Amino acid sequence: MDFGMLITSYAEVFTSLQILLMTFIGALGGILLGAIPGMTATMGVALLVPFSFGMDLIPAIGLLLGIYCGGMYGGSISAILIHAPGTPSAAATVLDGYPMTKRGEAGRALSVAMFSSFCGGVIGALIMTFLSPLIADMAMNFGPGEMFMLAFFGLSVIISISGKSITKGLMSAFLGMFMCCVGLDPTNGIPRFMTVKQTGLLDGFQFIPALIGMFAVAEVIAGVERILNGKEHTASSNEKITSVLPDWKTIKMIWPNILSGSIIGTFIGAIPGAGGDIAVFVSYGASKSASKHPERYGTGIPQGVAATESANNGCSGGAMIPLLSLGVPGDAVTAVLLGAFIMKGIQPGPMMYVSELHTVYKVFAALMLSNLCMLIVGCLGVRFFAKIVSVEKTMLYPIILVISLLGAFSINKSVFDIGVCVAFGVFGWLMNKYEFPLSPILLTLILGPMCEKNFVRFMNIHHGKIFDIFQSPIAMVFLVVAIGTIVFSIFNQRKINKREAEARANGGSQE
Amino acid sequence: MKITKKRILATVAATLVLAMSLTACGGGKSSEYPTKGINVICPWGAGGGTDTCLRAFTNAMGKDLGQTLTVDNITGGGGITGHQAIADAEADGYTIGMITFELATYQPLGTSDLTWESYEPLCRVNTDAATVTVATKWANDNGITDLKGFIDYCTAHPGEVQMGGSSAASVWHIAGGYLMNATGIDIQMVTYQEGAAAAVKDAAGGFIQGVTVSLAEARSFIESGDLTCLGVMSDERNSAFPDVPTCAEQGYDVQYFTQRGMAIPKGTPAEVKARLETACENAIKDAEFVEFMNNNGQAISYLNAADYTQFLKDSATDVAEAMKAVNLV
Repeated sequence: MDFGMLITSYAEVFTSLQILLMTFIGALGGILLGAIPGMTATMGVALLVPFSFGMDLIPAIGLLLGIYCGGMYGGSISAILIHAPGTPSAAATVLDGYPMTKRGEAGRALSVAMFSSFCGGVIGALIMTFLSPLIADMAMNFGPGEMFMLAFFGLSVIISISGKSITKGLMSAFLGMFMCCVGLDPTNGIPRFMTVKQTGLLDGFQFIPALIGMFAVAEVIAGVERILNGKEHTASSNEKITSVLPDWKTIKMIWPNILSGSIIGTFIGAIPGAGGDIAVFVSYGASKSASKHPERYGTGIPQGVAATESANNGCSGGAMIPLLSLGVPGDAVTAVLLGAFIMKGIQPGPMMYVSELHTVYKVFAALMLSNLCMLIVGCLGVRFFAKIVSVEKTMLYPIILVISLLGAFSINKSVFDIGVCVAFGVFGWLMNKYEFPLSPILLTLILGPMCEKNFVRFMNIHHGKIFDIFQSPIAMVFLVVAIGTIVFSIFNQRKINKREAEARANGGSQE
Repeated sequence: MKITKKRILATVAATLVLAMSLTACGGGKSSEYPTKGINVICPWGAGGGTDTCLRAFTNAMGKDLGQTLTVDNITGGGGITGHQAIADAEADGYTIGMITFELATYQPLGTSDLTWESYEPLCRVNTDAATVTVATKWANDNGITDLKGFIDYCTAHPGEVQMGGSSAASVWHIAGGYLMNATGIDIQMVTYQEGAAAAVKDAAGGFIQGVTVSLAEARSFIESGDLTCLGVMSDERNSAFPDVPTCAEQGYDVQYFTQRGMAIPKGTPAEVKARLETACENAIKDAEFVEFMNNNGQAISYLNAADYTQFLKDSATDVAEAMKAVNLV
């Protein structure tokens, strides 16, 4: 660690007008892109890489990191306001963010999301600055067996996001697992559950169209149903937004969730192949388990929003660690960033810390700057975004539907995916109607392929000897934590159900 | 004052009219192809090897054609969706695309009917050779210093050595099969759906013994010393790695590489095709493109339309043979 160089690098980045401007533009664009379902940070970064050709490296990286950080927060805006996560990483923000909006607290939810995103991003960037080599070593020790157990640990969160009935949660999860089987088998490339010429299904159900369908489209269908039954009320737009940042009382309430979320996010982000979409659920599960009032999660509490939003922005710092120190991208955005570095003639990897330390420190500084820009743009936007809620529902739903279908199409420019999106919309609506939780399906859709690939790869390498997995201490830690999580969540759920029964017996006077 | 203002206005107006008529003249001249922007289909994701190579190449082609070429990533289905979109596009020269090695695998796998015969090939742009790259620690522990040592070890321990090679039926996976066919050894190929980077990381971490991926993809760990490249499956050394020997130099005549080239839908008018071929020929020599490819560690290996067509025909049979060795067909 060369502190002198670190300080001069920060100074150089924070005083360069070009870098400041580019990063600010990036953050603005990222937030807007992230807020539109189907437009992800990955897409934004990929689109802008060619524009960054003509720029110097650091302004270009600042622009791309601005989009990355902005997109992570932007996804939560639509998740909170219209029940449609703009990016996969915002999927868990729906759980508590949308109920807050329904209660007329949209502005508060947005400011909590923004503040948590900022803290998550800064903590992630700090961990990255000071612990990079250490964490990179850790990431190198993640082989197929360890990845499988990490995925298994992720799946253990299902119970705490199942809602009232663990049985229904598990049924949803298994259904999700089953959906993961559609498409080319990852080991031998053999098509499963499809006739040969359905190219639209070769990669399985596309995740983003499915996500948009299950949340946005399903919400539109449910909304239309409410309008037809005359039960729809336009949410109260009377909420007074006195401050764009959460008040001191709220911050005191959410800081433990932010801290744990940021750390979980950074570490999961640092593992190549695991990203924000997994981290948010793990963080949500952890914060619910640690809470004295787990029954309040899912009813619209700021802690739930803070846990997920700090985790996904923590991931951006985490994902940069293997990118810079191993040359291995942690997620799709960093894969595009890797390409941007190479185009400038810099090869990220173990040698970068030796030969390009100055550049590495400037990237740290640029990430920190991106988070600051995100905070500024976010603050300016809160009042504006919160107004969306007061739009007449008969106008809002058609707009959401069009944007959703457009988003589903634009991921792969595939008409087939529009069909996937609509089908998942009807499916999600039916699931909601019969009170099956959607989050377990989502989590299995994310983790199923990771589980399968790594399990088969492990069995392949170890010639089918599954017990070899006990030789890996990292895998064992995950296994123990996973079993602990399962036991604890079942216990917790029983407690919740008991309390609710008591509350009902007392006529709800407890609240 | 007034008069001056009017005069200025008149001058401006006259200039505008002149400019417009000149533009109109320009328009009349370019009634030949191409008169508008061209759409370029990339069957692989933005930011990947194919995408970056294609974007740089179309940039250079645009300079020659005097039109904007827009890259459109149509991904999914292991590249099939995008390859299909190129074949199905209107044959007017305003949709072109990049075809890649994987095209030769679709028919043997039974995932699509597409073959090289579904297109009019324009030119080959790039080839990247497969390698035999092993974990340095493992090689040292077993006294392996060159390709011969590796082959001897594999012969003595059949089926034990595990090599990573990107996703199933990808070029690096099949390269492993080709290596087995050519040298008679028996190694186990481990597939990495996530791509070459994940395989490289696992090799450097000691979970598998080596990889068959390109030098560019293994670069950072070769430079750090975690991985050692024993041989490149190409007829000449890679200019970015002059110290790494080829397999042929060490007495094993194995050549295997991925290839990327430009193609248009069947039935495109001959004069349009000829114009595009000229554009490709000039673009390949473009200084900016050459510099970009060198930075990127990707080799430029141009073949004109006729040679590229012959090459695609020959390699179709080779690929099908190698796929048998890794039990893909």
